[in-house]
Amino acid sequence: MSLTEVSFASVVKSQFRYKVKAYLGVFVSLMILQLIAIIFSFNGVSSFGSGSDSFSVTVSRYSANMVITFTFLWAFITAILLTTRAYRYDDFSFVTNRLSGSLSTVLFLLFACAAAGISAMLSSFLLKNIIYFFFTDITLAGGLPQAAPGEFIIGTIATILYVILFSSAGYFIGTLVQLHRFFAVSVPGVIFGSLFIGDQSGLGNVIVWINEFLFSETSFFIFISKIIIFSGIFFVSSFYLLNRLEVRQ
Amino acid sequence: MSVIECKDVTKVYRNIAALKGVSFAIEENKITGVIGRNGAGKSTMLKILAGFLKETSGEVHVLSERPFNNLKVSANLIYVDDQMSLPTSLTLSDILECAGDFYRNWDKELANRLFDYFSFHPKQRHNNLSKGMKSTFNMIIGLAARCAVTIFDEPTIGMDEAVRKDFYRALLKDYIAYPRTILLSSHHLHEVEDLLEDVFIIKEGKTLLHVPLTDFKEMAIGLSGDLSIVNPLISDKEVYHLEENGIKRTYVVVENNFTEAELHEAKVKGVDVSPVSSSDLYVFLTNKTKGGIEDVFNRG
Amino acid sequence: MILDSDSSKPIYVQISEWIEAEILRGHFTTDQKVYSQYQLADRFNINPATAGKGLTLLVEDNILYKKRGLGMFVAEDARERIKNKRKNQTLKKLIFELVLEAEYLDVDEEELVEMIKSIKRKGEVQ
Repeated sequence: MSLTEVSFASVVKSQFRYKVKAYLGVFVSLMILQLIAIIFSFNGVSSFGSGSDSFSVTVSRYSANMVITFTFLWAFITAILLTTRAYRYDDFSFVTNRLSGSLSTVLFLLFACAAAGISAMLSSFLLKNIIYFFFTDITLAGGLPQAAPGEFIIGTIATILYVILFSSAGYFIGTLVQLHRFFAVSVPGVIFGSLFIGDQSGLGNVIVWINEFLFSETSFFIFISKIIIFSGIFFVSSFYLLNRLEVRQ
Repeated sequence: MSVIECKDVTKVYRNIAALKGVSFAIEENKITGVIGRNGAGKSTMLKILAGFLKETSGEVHVLSERPFNNLKVSANLIYVDDQMSLPTSLTLSDILECAGDFYRNWDKELANRLFDYFSFHPKQRHNNLSKGMKSTFNMIIGLAARCAVTIFDEPTIGMDEAVRKDFYRALLKDYIAYPRTILLSSHHLHEVEDLLEDVFIIKEGKTLLHVPLTDFKEMAIGLSGDLSIVNPLISDKEVYHLEENGIKRTYVVVENNFTEAELHEAKVKGVDVSPVSSSDLYVFLTNKTKGGIEDVFNRG
Repeated sequence: MILDSDSSKPIYVQISEWIEAEILRGHFTTDQKVYSQYQLADRFNINPATAGKGLTLLVEDNILYKKRGLGMFVAEDARERIKNKRKNQTLKKLIFELVLEAEYLDVDEEELVEMIKSIKRKGEVQ
């Protein structure tokens, strides 16, 4: 049989196509989560009312924050899922090496995160439309995309970047767990522990710092750079760690 | 040209040595049977060749490259067994389509014809298949991929008799049409021996034997007769198997380097000379003791 | 014909004997091309190398000759050679076994020859 020459890029491409087909379920879970979040959002974030004998006013704030939070969670969990054995072994049934396998998974994750970020942003309009059509006597104020297209685009990009950041963190943690079972216990321990212990320990400060560093950046350009660097570090160190893992022991 | 070359390959898993120094070379376009008992290290060796596992020490070369993390090896080698991991979300026809996307020599028509012949349904899912159907489906991928190095590790697990026969027939026909290097591992030497050119036997993590099958079939001979007559005949031979066979009679399997005249003489003396089937010889060679299970019950 | 993997005869010997039989039956005549190792492998479901070994055996016995790149052909006096070979090897071996068994059963020479003659008379063997 004649030998075939393959390039790294073509293998990554094939792996990517394979994964888009095989991981369709990831998008189903995204849709379900976002729909649930939309339903939760019907309650509104806050509302107050006042009135007199002749009229009454109720101001309700609706927000898609819930949808976005759920999307972050989805990105984190999906990324962990894709590092598990069953998914990694699937790569090796066909042509791959470790790097092309992980790289194509990450490309798939980026693709999925972009879709998730866009749909999360759009869902806020879905929310508004539903409220507009199904809740009577309502005047909608502000925030339609055609009103401020620039803002909408920036918002979408920022959302996508956050989703990517969460997925890269999930991917890195998932990779650690694949390396050693020890991390399956210790990583959640550290995260939840730091949440509960809060200020009393140095860990609490780290969380505050992360919060300020990543989530309170005012310059859009610096924000983009920070996220890209952070998720880049997570992904690249995962590539490095995964590159030595054996499959199907 | 040797497509596969291994020198003193060892593999240690969590402090247990699965391979203790395996050396061999496989020439291009031969069908080699990789035979060994359960736990002898067959699968470990084959998975190292496939680049799934990394050898602990020694040298492994497949197509002149180290297989671990090697794209050239991965593109030209396929490893098929019953544990092949395939996405549960894909239908069988999706999987075949993906496989075709990966392998340059993929024969779509062969895959489809085998798929229909074995009555698969395109919408079925891999994880819902029975054991035997899974093996059959994996075999289709292994054949249609037409890789220069094709490894079937216990390919017939769960297949019924008729499908096994069909599989071996399909393998041979496709090999004749498209010669390639094939490694076929099995517990059942008898089932595969006619297909093989060479046989490679692993015992307890080491190479026991690597010879052409026709030599293997002639390397041993069975002698049965009175102890007093047989024993002198075999004094300078390697004994593979020894058992008592009635009063003062014995059956021995020894290396066959007797001359025609010696055998003639033995027959005249009343010794029964019989060929040893390759599967019997394989069992004798891979037994821990010369008497096999009998020794467990013979407490002297 | 179906090959017998458990027979004392190696598969490649069975292959060469099958071709010999085809020649004796007149299915192949002098200078005619015989099956290739791949055709034999396909027909008998065996490894082509084994089939090739069977053909080589016949070349060594001058029953077939090889034309480079074209295949194997039947040699001129192949039939005679096959008959001689079988007389000298196969038949001798069979007679040896026969005599051995006769001795074991205390059948003397005269009785043995008589047994052979009676079988020939009855026409059980043609």
